[in-house]
Amino acid sequence: MKVNQIMTKDLTAVDEEISVRELIFILKNSELSNMPIVDAEGKLAGFISDKDVIKAALPGYFEMLHSTSFIPDMNQLSNKLAKIADNPIKTYMHRDVICLKEDDDDLQAADLIIRRNVRSLPVINSAGKLVGILRRIDLLRHLL
Amino acid sequence: MIITVTPNPSLDKVYWVDRLKIGDQTQEEFLTRATRSHMSAGGKGVNISVFLARMGVENVAMGFIGGHVGQVVVRDLRNEGVSTNFVWVEGETRTNVTILERGREYVPIQLNEAGPQISQGASERFLRRYGRILPDADWMVLAGSLPPGLDSDFYYKLAKETGAKVVISAGGEALSRSLDAAPYLVKPDTRQRLAMEGARLTSRERIIAAGRRVIEQGVEVIIISHGVTGDIAISRDGIWDIKARISTTQFKNLVGADDALVGGIIYRLDEGAGFEEALRFGMAAAILSAEGDEKICHQRERIEAEMEQISVERYEEAA
Repeated sequence: MKVNQIMTKDLTAVDEEISVRELIFILKNSELSNMPIVDAEGKLAGFISDKDVIKAALPGYFEMLHSTSFIPDMNQLSNKLAKIADNPIKTYMHRDVICLKEDDDDLQAADLIIRRNVRSLPVINSAGKLVGILRRIDLLRHLL
Repeated sequence: MIITVTPNPSLDKVYWVDRLKIGDQTQEEFLTRATRSHMSAGGKGVNISVFLARMGVENVAMGFIGGHVGQVVVRDLRNEGVSTNFVWVEGETRTNVTILERGREYVPIQLNEAGPQISQGASERFLRRYGRILPDADWMVLAGSLPPGLDSDFYYKLAKETGAKVVISAGGEALSRSLDAAPYLVKPDTRQRLAMEGARLTSRERIIAAGRRVIEQGVEVIIISHGVTGDIAISRDGIWDIKARISTTQFKNLVGADDALVGGIIYRLDEGAGFEEALRFGMAAAILSAEGDEKICHQRERIEAEMEQISVERYEEAA
């Protein structure tokens, strides 16, 4: 079966100029954990997840640590998040986005989702425009 | 591609009751129990999207959505096979309630909420998305009431210079201010048609005169309801009476019938059918929708069979 027959037909996407604050609002309301980013023509330009925002809010030294136990409390994260809240998401987005084509096979899609260990992947048409999103749960529902 | 815009979608809740107790009751009698209930995504454009999806037509529903109710609406649309492209806003998408009393289903009691306040920022986000999808649109359907916060020229802004065939199904100022954008097809809200141009459009002559004035503004076709089982279509090329040979007492649920009419017409025109054929199909879809409990009839075979009950007659050569 083709990806466009099993994907979620959701075209919710943002442009790279929106703020981190707006992104959090949209992610929360749309019950998504990541969001495709499109250009002025609606072509897929990148991807950003809640994980990327958390990572951006963590102190700079965090990557050198192996445990959050070295961070005294949540205030540091909260303060950092407040500082970046009005920054455009283009600072934190991924431009090298992995995506599926709408006529890809379901097996191909499952393979990519498992190998890349991602929850969902954007789906584009032959013109490079976003036409939906394929989530792990869409695959499972399709297989059952 | 067909795009529908519903600025103020809703969750439609329909309750069926044996008898609606209103008036002087004792406290014991005050409760009215529904015998059945049904819940579905609603709003004019949303209903048209669902109709088209059930006919197998790919389409995208756009608009503003908010809160838990908004999540239910979007989920319902996706389950119907409609592609969703909504802007999330603060507040809660409205819930519209219809109560149908047994034996009096043709006079439904409706309670519609106003909808969430749309901020300037949300409106701008929507316009950016609209601009991105517009080049892909063959048909652009702008339908329903406007939520608080949107200017009454919202549809005018969306309809002008689109390159797509624009259909507007709305009422009040949202409709009247959009006419200068010269949309292809206009369907004034049946519930508000009497207020059109401040005239009481009760007679056939007045309907035609009002319709002609709209055509003079550059609109290609206007369809105005004339009674519950008849519509009048007016275009530059002529006037058509669309009539259903059916009694209104057979109606069970009028909610969504207007949307089935518009959806049916667009569906057949998009398939390449002739104008009269599309009118008959649309009216048949509307009548079947009104005759059934379900909001919108989606069985093409049944609609085609119902077309036997519909007549479309040309009234004169030129409007």
